[in-house]
Amino acid sequence: MAREQDLLAAFVEFADTFVDDYDVVEFLHRLAERCVGLLNVSEAGIMLADRDGTLHYIASSSERMHLIELFELQHDEGPCLDAYRTGVAVHAAMADEANTRWPRFAPHARDVGFQSVSALPMRLRADVIGALNLFSATPEPLNSEDQQVAQALADIATISILQERALKDGQVVTTQLEGALESRIAIEQAKGMVAEHNHVSIDDAFTLLRGYARKNNRLLRQTADAIIDGTLTADALTAPTRNQPA
Amino acid sequence: MTVDRLDSGRFAQVVEARREEHGDPARAVCLACVDVLGVAGAGLVLMSGGQSMGIGVSDSVTDTVEQMEYTLGEGPCVSAYRTKVPVFDADLADEETDRWPEFRRGALASGIQAAFGFPLLIQHVCMGALNVYHDRPGALSDGQVADALVVAQFASRAVLAWQADAPSGTVAWQLEQAPNRGVEVHQATGRISVQVGVSLADALVLLRAYAFSHDRPISEVAAEVAAGRLRMD
Repeated sequence: MAREQDLLAAFVEFADTFVDDYDVVEFLHRLAERCVGLLNVSEAGIMLADRDGTLHYIASSSERMHLIELFELQHDEGPCLDAYRTGVAVHAAMADEANTRWPRFAPHARDVGFQSVSALPMRLRADVIGALNLFSATPEPLNSEDQQVAQALADIATISILQERALKDGQVVTTQLEGALESRIAIEQAKGMVAEHNHVSIDDAFTLLRGYARKNNRLLRQTADAIIDGTLTADALTAPTRNQPA
Repeated sequence: MTVDRLDSGRFAQVVEARREEHGDPARAVCLACVDVLGVAGAGLVLMSGGQSMGIGVSDSVTDTVEQMEYTLGEGPCVSAYRTKVPVFDADLADEETDRWPEFRRGALASGIQAAFGFPLLIQHVCMGALNVYHDRPGALSDGQVADALVVAQFASRAVLAWQADAPSGTVAWQLEQAPNRGVEVHQATGRISVQVGVSLADALVLLRAYAFSHDRPISEVAAEVAAGRLRMD
Protein backbone atom coordinates (compact mmCIF):
# COMPACT_ATOMS: atom_id res chain seq x y z
CA MET A 1 0.00 0.00 0.00
CA ALA A 2 2.74 2.41 0.98
CA ARG A 3 4.49 1.91 -2.31
CA GLU A 4 1.34 2.55 -4.30
CA GLN A 5 0.94 5.87 -2.49
CA ASP A 6 4.54 6.75 -3.28
CA LEU A 7 4.07 5.78 -6.91
CA LEU A 8 0.96 7.89 -7.24
CA ALA A 9 2.74 10.82 -5.64
CA ALA A 10 5.64 10.40 -8.05
CA PHE A 11 3.35 10.35 -11.10
CA VAL A 12 1.43 13.39 -9.92
CA GLU A 13 4.64 15.25 -9.27
CA PHE A 14 5.90 14.54 -12.76
CA ALA A 15 2.58 15.42 -14.32
CA ASP A 16 2.97 18.87 -12.78
CA THR A 17 6.00 19.44 -14.93
CA PHE A 18 3.71 19.66 -17.95
CA VAL A 19 2.16 22.78 -16.54
CA ASP A 20 4.84 24.69 -14.68
CA ASP A 21 8.13 26.06 -15.87
CA TYR A 22 10.78 23.61 -14.89
CA ASP A 23 14.42 22.86 -15.35
CA VAL A 24 15.15 19.59 -17.17
CA VAL A 25 18.28 18.76 -15.17
CA GLU A 26 16.54 19.43 -11.86
CA PHE A 27 13.61 17.30 -12.98
CA LEU A 28 15.86 14.40 -13.94
CA HIS A 29 17.73 14.57 -10.62
CA ARG A 30 14.40 14.28 -8.81
CA LEU A 31 13.43 11.38 -11.05
CA ALA A 32 16.68 9.58 -10.27
CA GLU A 33 16.14 10.03 -6.55
CA ARG A 34 12.54 8.86 -6.78
CA CYS A 35 13.59 5.72 -8.61
CA VAL A 36 15.93 4.74 -5.80
CA GLY A 37 13.09 5.06 -3.29
CA LEU A 38 10.42 3.37 -5.37
CA LEU A 39 12.33 0.49 -6.87
CA ASN A 40 14.67 -0.66 -4.17
CA VAL A 41 17.76 -0.15 -6.27
CA SER A 42 20.94 1.41 -5.01
CA GLU A 43 21.49 4.09 -7.61
CA ALA A 44 19.82 5.63 -10.61
CA GLY A 45 21.19 7.73 -13.46
CA ILE A 46 19.98 9.30 -16.68
CA MET A 47 21.72 9.88 -19.97
CA LEU A 48 20.31 11.93 -22.82
CA ALA A 49 21.43 12.13 -26.42
CA ASP A 50 22.20 15.46 -28.06
CA ARG A 51 21.06 16.34 -31.59
CA ASP A 52 24.03 14.44 -33.03
CA GLY A 53 23.08 11.28 -31.18
CA THR A 54 25.94 11.44 -28.69
CA LEU A 55 24.92 10.36 -25.20
CA HIS A 56 25.71 12.64 -22.29
CA TYR A 57 25.39 12.02 -18.59
CA ILE A 58 22.72 14.35 -17.23
CA ALA A 59 21.70 13.36 -13.70
CA SER A 60 22.17 10.69 -11.06
CA SER A 61 21.32 9.85 -7.50
CA SER A 62 24.94 9.95 -6.34
CA GLU A 63 28.52 10.70 -7.29
CA ARG A 64 29.29 6.96 -7.41
CA MET A 65 26.60 6.64 -10.06
CA HIS A 66 27.95 9.63 -11.93
CA LEU A 67 31.35 8.00 -12.18
CA ILE A 68 29.97 4.70 -13.39
CA GLU A 69 27.97 6.46 -16.11
CA LEU A 70 31.08 8.28 -17.23
CA PHE A 71 32.97 5.00 -17.35
CA GLU A 72 30.35 3.57 -19.69
CA LEU A 73 30.52 6.58 -21.98
CA GLN A 74 34.30 6.64 -22.02
CA HIS A 75 34.61 2.97 -22.87
CA ASP A 76 31.64 2.96 -25.20
CA GLU A 77 30.30 -0.17 -23.55
CA GLY A 78 27.59 -0.98 -21.03
CA PRO A 79 23.89 -1.59 -20.33
CA CYS A 80 22.84 2.06 -20.71
CA LEU A 81 24.41 2.33 -24.15
CA ASP A 82 22.76 -0.93 -25.19
CA ALA A 83 19.34 0.25 -24.04
CA TYR A 84 19.76 3.53 -25.90
CA ARG A 85 21.02 1.98 -29.10
CA THR A 86 18.55 -0.91 -29.30
CA GLY A 87 15.54 0.81 -27.75
CA VAL A 88 15.01 -2.34 -25.69
CA ALA A 89 15.24 -2.63 -21.89
CA VAL A 90 18.26 -4.39 -20.45
CA HIS A 91 18.00 -6.37 -17.20
CA ALA A 92 21.17 -8.19 -16.19
CA ALA A 93 23.37 -9.49 -13.40
CA MET A 94 27.02 -8.41 -13.55
CA ALA A 95 28.27 -11.87 -12.76
CA ASP A 96 26.68 -13.33 -15.89
CA GLU A 97 27.71 -10.56 -18.25
CA ALA A 98 31.29 -10.32 -17.15
CA ASN A 99 33.08 -11.97 -20.02
CA THR A 100 30.54 -11.68 -22.76
CA ARG A 101 28.51 -8.55 -23.17
CA TRP A 102 30.54 -5.96 -21.27
CA PRO A 103 34.07 -7.27 -20.78
CA ARG A 104 35.43 -3.96 -19.47
CA PHE A 105 32.37 -2.49 -17.84
CA ALA A 106 31.13 -5.53 -15.86
CA PRO A 107 34.26 -6.07 -13.75
CA HIS A 108 34.46 -2.33 -13.03
CA ALA A 109 30.83 -2.23 -11.95
CA ARG A 110 31.35 -5.17 -9.62
CA ASP A 111 34.42 -3.50 -8.12
CA VAL A 112 32.38 -0.42 -7.36
CA GLY A 113 29.73 -2.55 -5.64
CA PHE A 114 27.04 -3.01 -8.30
CA GLN A 115 25.82 -6.56 -8.83
CA SER A 116 22.89 -6.03 -11.16
CA VAL A 117 21.52 -3.45 -13.53
CA SER A 118 18.35 -2.40 -15.36
CA ALA A 119 18.59 0.10 -18.19
CA LEU A 120 15.33 1.40 -19.65
CA PRO A 121 15.24 3.19 -22.99
CA MET A 122 13.68 6.65 -22.87
CA ARG A 123 11.56 6.27 -25.88
CA LEU A 124 8.43 7.62 -27.62
CA ARG A 125 7.46 5.51 -30.62
CA ALA A 126 10.51 5.48 -32.88
CA ASP A 127 12.47 8.15 -31.01
CA VAL A 128 14.93 7.03 -28.34
CA ILE A 129 16.24 10.11 -26.58
CA GLY A 130 18.29 8.50 -23.81
CA ALA A 131 18.28 5.89 -21.06
CA LEU A 132 17.26 5.56 -17.42
CA ASN A 133 19.77 3.39 -15.60
CA LEU A 134 19.26 1.57 -12.32
CA PHE A 135 22.06 -0.19 -10.47
CA SER A 136 21.72 -2.44 -7.48
CA ALA A 137 24.09 -3.87 -4.87
CA THR A 138 22.13 -7.12 -4.85
CA PRO A 139 22.52 -9.69 -7.60
CA GLU A 140 18.85 -10.22 -8.45
CA PRO A 141 17.61 -8.01 -11.28
CA LEU A 142 14.23 -6.24 -10.95
CA ASN A 143 11.15 -8.42 -10.87
CA SER A 144 8.65 -7.98 -13.69
CA GLU A 145 6.35 -5.64 -11.76
CA ASP A 146 9.25 -3.36 -10.90
CA GLN A 147 10.43 -3.49 -14.50
CA GLN A 148 7.06 -2.15 -15.58
CA VAL A 149 7.15 0.62 -13.01
CA ALA A 150 10.68 1.54 -14.10
CA GLN A 151 9.62 1.72 -17.75
CA ALA A 152 6.62 3.86 -16.82
CA LEU A 153 8.90 6.32 -15.02
CA ALA A 154 11.22 6.39 -18.02
CA ASP A 155 8.21 7.06 -20.28
CA ILE A 156 7.05 9.98 -18.17
CA ALA A 157 10.53 11.46 -18.28
CA THR A 158 10.63 11.08 -22.06
CA ILE A 159 7.29 12.75 -22.69
CA SER A 160 8.17 15.57 -20.35
CA ILE A 161 11.43 16.30 -22.11
CA LEU A 162 9.94 16.10 -25.61
CA GLN A 163 7.12 18.40 -24.52
CA GLU A 164 9.57 20.99 -23.28
CA ARG A 165 11.62 20.79 -26.48
CA ALA A 166 8.48 21.19 -28.60
CA LEU A 167 7.48 24.23 -26.61
CA LYS A 168 10.88 25.84 -27.09
CA ASP A 169 10.92 25.05 -30.81
CA GLY A 170 7.37 26.37 -31.18
CA GLN A 171 8.23 29.64 -29.52
CA VAL A 172 11.30 30.12 -31.66
CA VAL A 173 9.43 29.47 -34.89
CA THR A 174 6.48 31.65 -33.86
CA THR A 175 8.87 34.53 -33.17
CA GLN A 176 10.52 33.98 -36.55
CA LEU A 177 7.12 33.99 -38.25
CA GLU A 178 6.11 37.21 -36.56
CA GLY A 179 9.40 38.81 -37.52
CA ALA A 180 9.06 37.68 -41.12
CA LEU A 181 5.46 38.95 -41.33
CA GLU A 182 6.39 42.32 -39.87
CA SER A 183 9.29 42.66 -42.31
CA ARG A 184 7.05 41.82 -45.21
CA ILE A 185 4.47 44.37 -44.11
CA ALA A 186 7.06 47.13 -43.63
CA ILE A 187 8.53 46.49 -47.08
CA GLU A 188 5.11 46.64 -48.76
CA GLN A 189 4.19 49.84 -46.95
CA ALA A 190 7.50 51.42 -47.94
CA LYS A 191 6.87 50.47 -51.57
CA GLY A 192 3.55 52.32 -51.44
CA MET A 193 5.10 55.39 -49.84
CA VAL A 194 7.96 55.56 -52.33
CA ALA A 195 5.60 54.92 -55.27
CA GLU A 196 3.37 57.81 -54.19
CA HIS A 197 6.19 60.20 -53.39
CA ASN A 198 8.17 59.58 -56.56
CA HIS A 199 5.13 59.11 -58.84
CA VAL A 200 6.21 55.67 -59.97
CA SER A 201 4.62 52.23 -59.97
CA ILE A 202 4.86 49.85 -57.02
CA ASP A 203 7.30 47.66 -58.94
CA ASP A 204 9.57 50.60 -59.79
CA ALA A 205 9.43 51.68 -56.15
CA PHE A 206 10.63 48.20 -55.17
CA THR A 207 13.52 48.48 -57.62
CA LEU A 208 14.52 51.81 -56.06
CA LEU A 209 14.39 50.38 -52.54
CA ARG A 210 16.40 47.31 -53.49
CA GLY A 211 18.95 49.37 -55.39
CA TYR A 212 19.46 51.70 -52.44
CA ALA A 213 19.77 48.82 -49.98
CA ARG A 214 22.37 47.10 -52.14
CA LYS A 215 24.44 50.22 -52.82
CA ASN A 216 24.51 51.14 -49.16
CA ASN A 217 25.02 47.62 -47.92
CA ARG A 218 21.82 47.55 -45.93
CA LEU A 219 19.05 45.01 -45.56
CA LEU A 220 15.87 45.74 -47.46
CA ARG A 221 14.01 45.71 -44.15
CA GLN A 222 16.27 48.42 -42.70
CA THR A 223 15.75 50.61 -45.77
CA ALA A 224 11.98 50.11 -45.55
CA ASP A 225 11.97 50.99 -41.85
CA ALA A 226 13.99 54.12 -42.57
CA ILE A 227 11.48 55.25 -45.20
CA ILE A 228 8.63 54.61 -42.77
CA ASP A 229 10.12 56.49 -39.85
CA GLY A 230 11.29 59.32 -42.08
CA THR A 231 15.03 59.00 -41.53
CA LEU A 232 15.37 58.22 -45.21
CA THR A 233 13.49 60.28 -47.77
CA ALA A 234 12.15 58.88 -51.01
CA ASP A 235 14.26 61.50 -52.83
CA ALA A 236 17.45 59.94 -51.50
CA LEU A 237 16.60 56.72 -53.33
CA THR A 238 16.97 58.40 -56.72
CA ALA A 239 19.92 60.67 -55.86
CA PRO A 240 23.14 59.58 -57.58
CA THR A 241 25.73 58.14 -55.20
CA ARG A 242 29.02 59.99 -54.85
CA ASN A 243 31.27 57.16 -55.87
CA GLN A 244 29.47 56.11 -59.01
CA PRO A 245 31.72 55.92 -62.04
CA ALA A 246 31.07 58.74 -64.51
CA MET B 1 -22.38 3.46 -29.78
CA THR B 2 -18.74 4.27 -30.17
CA VAL B 3 -18.01 7.06 -32.58
CA ASP B 4 -14.90 6.96 -34.69
CA ARG B 5 -13.28 10.22 -33.59
CA LEU B 6 -10.98 12.12 -35.86
CA ASP B 7 -7.30 12.04 -34.99
CA SER B 8 -4.36 13.88 -36.40
CA GLY B 9 -3.25 10.93 -38.53
CA ARG B 10 -6.59 10.47 -40.23
CA PHE B 11 -6.95 14.18 -40.81
CA ALA B 12 -3.50 14.23 -42.39
CA GLN B 13 -4.72 11.68 -44.92
CA VAL B 14 -7.72 13.83 -45.86
CA VAL B 15 -5.42 16.84 -46.23
CA GLU B 16 -3.02 14.88 -48.40
CA ALA B 17 -5.84 13.77 -50.71
CA ARG B 18 -6.94 17.39 -51.11
CA ARG B 19 -3.37 18.57 -51.64
CA GLU B 20 -2.91 16.13 -54.51
CA GLU B 21 -5.89 17.71 -56.24
CA HIS B 22 -5.06 21.32 -55.49
CA GLY B 23 -1.34 21.71 -54.74
CA ASP B 24 -1.79 24.56 -52.26
CA PRO B 25 -1.12 23.11 -48.79
CA ALA B 26 -2.98 25.69 -46.70
CA ARG B 27 -6.02 25.51 -48.96
CA ALA B 28 -5.88 21.72 -48.69
CA VAL B 29 -6.20 22.01 -44.90
CA CYS B 30 -9.26 24.25 -45.33
CA LEU B 31 -10.87 21.90 -47.84
CA ALA B 32 -10.14 18.92 -45.62
CA CYS B 33 -11.71 20.79 -42.70
CA VAL B 34 -14.88 21.29 -44.75
CA ASP B 35 -14.83 17.58 -45.64
CA VAL B 36 -14.60 16.33 -42.07
CA LEU B 37 -16.94 18.86 -40.44
CA GLY B 38 -19.54 18.95 -43.19
CA VAL B 39 -19.75 22.77 -43.13
CA ALA B 40 -19.96 25.32 -45.91
CA GLY B 41 -16.49 26.85 -45.63
CA ALA B 42 -13.26 27.17 -43.68
CA GLY B 43 -10.39 29.62 -43.64
CA LEU B 44 -7.01 30.00 -41.95
CA VAL B 45 -5.67 33.36 -40.87
CA LEU B 46 -2.39 34.19 -39.18
CA MET B 47 -2.28 37.25 -36.94
CA SER B 48 0.52 39.19 -35.34
CA GLY B 49 0.12 42.46 -33.51
CA GLY B 50 -2.44 44.48 -35.46
CA GLN B 51 -1.91 42.65 -38.73
CA SER B 52 -3.58 39.65 -40.21
CA MET B 53 -2.63 37.48 -43.15
CA GLY B 54 -5.06 35.03 -44.70
CA ILE B 55 -3.17 31.91 -45.71
CA GLY B 56 -5.95 29.77 -47.14
CA VAL B 57 -9.67 29.51 -47.80
CA SER B 58 -11.86 26.66 -49.00
CA ASP B 59 -13.99 28.77 -51.38
CA SER B 60 -14.72 32.29 -52.58
CA VAL B 61 -17.61 32.96 -50.17
CA THR B 62 -15.26 32.26 -47.27
CA ASP B 63 -12.74 34.59 -48.88
CA THR B 64 -15.34 37.38 -49.04
CA VAL B 65 -16.40 36.84 -45.43
CA GLU B 66 -12.82 36.79 -44.15
CA GLN B 67 -12.02 40.00 -45.98
CA MET B 68 -15.01 41.52 -44.26
CA GLU B 69 -13.48 40.58 -40.94
CA TYR B 70 -10.24 42.22 -41.94
CA THR B 71 -12.01 45.35 -43.11
CA LEU B 72 -14.12 45.65 -40.00
CA GLY B 73 -11.67 44.32 -37.43
CA GLU B 74 -14.40 42.16 -35.90
CA GLY B 75 -15.65 38.59 -36.22
CA PRO B 76 -14.97 35.03 -35.02
CA CYS B 77 -11.38 35.06 -36.23
CA VAL B 78 -10.50 38.28 -34.40
CA SER B 79 -12.32 37.16 -31.25
CA ALA B 80 -10.73 33.71 -31.19
CA TYR B 81 -7.28 35.25 -31.63
CA ARG B 82 -7.80 37.81 -28.88
CA THR B 83 -9.41 35.53 -26.31
CA LYS B 84 -7.39 32.39 -27.22
CA VAL B 85 -10.51 30.26 -26.82
CA PRO B 86 -13.00 28.96 -29.41
CA VAL B 87 -15.89 31.32 -30.19
CA PHE B 88 -19.28 30.22 -31.43
CA ASP B 89 -22.15 31.99 -33.13
CA ALA B 90 -24.70 29.40 -34.14
CA ASP B 91 -27.17 31.93 -35.54
CA LEU B 92 -25.82 35.14 -37.02
CA ALA B 93 -29.38 36.35 -37.61
CA ASP B 94 -30.28 36.25 -33.93
CA GLU B 95 -30.97 39.86 -33.05
CA GLU B 96 -30.40 39.26 -29.35
CA THR B 97 -26.64 39.07 -29.99
CA ASP B 98 -24.62 42.27 -29.40
CA ARG B 99 -21.33 41.29 -30.81
CA TRP B 100 -19.91 41.74 -34.33
CA PRO B 101 -22.89 43.79 -35.62
CA GLU B 102 -21.36 44.80 -38.95
CA PHE B 103 -19.68 41.45 -39.54
CA ARG B 104 -22.95 39.62 -38.95
CA ARG B 105 -24.78 41.85 -41.37
CA GLY B 106 -22.17 41.32 -44.05
CA ALA B 107 -21.84 37.58 -43.49
CA LEU B 108 -25.61 37.06 -43.68
CA ALA B 109 -25.66 39.03 -46.93
CA SER B 110 -23.14 36.50 -48.27
CA GLY B 111 -25.32 33.56 -47.26
CA ILE B 112 -23.47 32.59 -44.10
CA GLN B 113 -25.72 31.90 -41.12
CA ALA B 114 -23.33 30.50 -38.50
CA ALA B 115 -19.68 31.25 -37.76
CA PHE B 116 -17.11 29.66 -35.44
CA GLY B 117 -13.51 30.58 -34.68
CA PHE B 118 -10.78 28.35 -33.21
CA PRO B 119 -7.46 29.83 -32.09
CA LEU B 120 -4.29 28.41 -33.59
CA LEU B 121 -2.24 27.70 -30.50
CA ILE B 122 1.18 26.37 -29.77
CA GLN B 123 1.12 26.03 -25.97
CA HIS B 124 0.18 29.54 -24.82
CA VAL B 125 1.14 31.39 -27.99
CA CYS B 126 -1.70 32.24 -30.38
CA MET B 127 -0.72 32.59 -34.04
CA GLY B 128 -4.12 33.22 -35.61
CA ALA B 129 -7.38 31.36 -36.12
CA LEU B 130 -9.24 28.66 -38.00
CA ASN B 131 -12.64 29.98 -39.13
CA VAL B 132 -15.55 27.71 -39.87
CA TYR B 133 -18.69 28.95 -41.61
CA HIS B 134 -22.03 27.33 -42.29
CA ASP B 135 -24.91 28.32 -44.55
CA ARG B 136 -27.55 27.13 -42.09
CA PRO B 137 -28.01 28.21 -38.47
CA GLY B 138 -27.21 25.66 -35.79
CA ALA B 139 -24.56 24.89 -33.21
CA LEU B 140 -21.69 22.54 -33.93
CA SER B 141 -22.20 19.16 -32.27
CA ASP B 142 -19.75 18.06 -29.55
CA GLY B 143 -18.19 15.76 -32.12
CA GLN B 144 -17.74 18.57 -34.61
CA VAL B 145 -16.17 20.78 -31.96
CA ALA B 146 -13.76 17.99 -31.00
CA ASP B 147 -12.88 17.48 -34.67
CA ALA B 148 -12.43 21.23 -35.22
CA LEU B 149 -9.95 21.29 -32.33
CA VAL B 150 -8.00 18.49 -34.01
CA VAL B 151 -8.00 20.48 -37.26
CA ALA B 152 -6.84 23.65 -35.47
CA GLN B 153 -4.02 21.79 -33.77
CA PHE B 154 -3.00 20.20 -37.06
CA ALA B 155 -3.02 23.58 -38.78
CA SER B 156 -0.92 25.16 -36.00
CA ARG B 157 1.70 22.44 -36.28
CA ALA B 158 1.67 22.62 -40.08
CA VAL B 159 2.28 26.38 -40.02
CA LEU B 160 5.20 25.90 -37.63
CA ALA B 161 6.68 23.11 -39.70
CA TRP B 162 6.42 25.12 -42.92
CA GLN B 163 7.94 28.19 -41.34
CA ALA B 164 10.71 26.17 -39.70
CA ASP B 165 11.85 25.11 -43.17
CA ALA B 166 11.74 28.60 -44.66
CA PRO B 167 15.03 30.47 -45.25
CA SER B 168 15.77 32.77 -42.34
CA GLY B 169 13.93 36.11 -42.45
CA THR B 170 11.41 35.01 -45.09
CA VAL B 171 7.82 33.87 -44.89
CA ALA B 172 7.33 30.21 -45.86
CA TRP B 173 5.99 29.78 -49.42
CA GLN B 174 3.12 27.64 -48.14
CA LEU B 175 1.83 30.73 -46.33
CA GLU B 176 1.85 32.91 -49.43
CA GLN B 177 -0.54 31.04 -51.71
CA ALA B 178 -3.85 32.62 -50.69
CA PRO B 179 -5.36 34.83 -53.40
CA ASN B 180 -5.81 37.96 -51.32
CA ARG B 181 -2.92 37.78 -49.02
CA GLY B 182 -2.82 41.44 -48.17
CA VAL B 183 0.27 42.86 -49.89
CA GLU B 184 -1.84 45.32 -51.81
CA VAL B 185 -3.48 46.46 -48.58
CA HIS B 186 -0.07 47.38 -47.21
CA GLN B 187 1.04 49.02 -50.45
CA ALA B 188 -2.21 51.01 -50.54
CA THR B 189 -1.68 52.03 -46.92
CA GLY B 190 1.74 53.38 -47.88
CA ARG B 191 0.30 55.41 -50.76
CA ILE B 192 -2.55 56.79 -48.68
CA SER B 193 -0.25 57.87 -45.85
CA VAL B 194 1.67 60.06 -48.33
CA GLN B 195 -1.44 61.26 -50.22
CA VAL B 196 -3.27 62.41 -47.12
CA GLY B 197 -0.26 63.07 -44.88
CA VAL B 198 -1.21 60.70 -42.07
CA SER B 199 0.44 57.83 -40.23
CA LEU B 200 0.31 54.32 -41.66
CA ALA B 201 -2.13 53.27 -38.93
CA ASP B 202 -4.51 56.10 -39.84
CA ALA B 203 -4.05 55.35 -43.54
CA LEU B 204 -5.26 51.79 -42.91
CA VAL B 205 -8.30 53.16 -41.09
CA LEU B 206 -9.10 55.36 -44.09
CA LEU B 207 -8.76 52.41 -46.44
CA ARG B 208 -11.04 50.27 -44.30
CA ALA B 209 -13.57 53.08 -43.96
CA TYR B 210 -13.67 53.56 -47.72
CA ALA B 211 -14.16 49.83 -48.35
CA PHE B 212 -16.88 49.67 -45.72
CA SER B 213 -18.79 52.74 -46.84
CA HIS B 214 -18.66 51.68 -50.49
CA ASP B 215 -19.51 48.09 -49.56
CA ARG B 216 -16.52 46.70 -51.47
CA PRO B 217 -13.98 44.07 -50.44
CA ILE B 218 -10.90 45.71 -49.01
CA SER B 219 -8.64 43.77 -51.39
CA GLU B 220 -10.41 45.27 -54.39
CA VAL B 221 -10.14 48.83 -53.11
CA ALA B 222 -6.52 48.24 -52.11
CA ALA B 223 -5.63 46.95 -55.57
CA GLU B 224 -6.96 50.13 -57.15
CA VAL B 225 -5.19 52.39 -54.70
CA ALA B 226 -1.91 50.49 -55.06
CA ALA B 227 -2.14 50.70 -58.85
CA GLY B 228 -2.72 54.44 -58.64
CA ARG B 229 -6.24 54.26 -60.07
CA LEU B 230 -7.95 55.46 -56.91
CA ARG B 231 -6.82 58.19 -54.56
CA MET B 232 -7.92 59.16 -51.08
CA ASP B 233 -6.93 62.82 -51.19
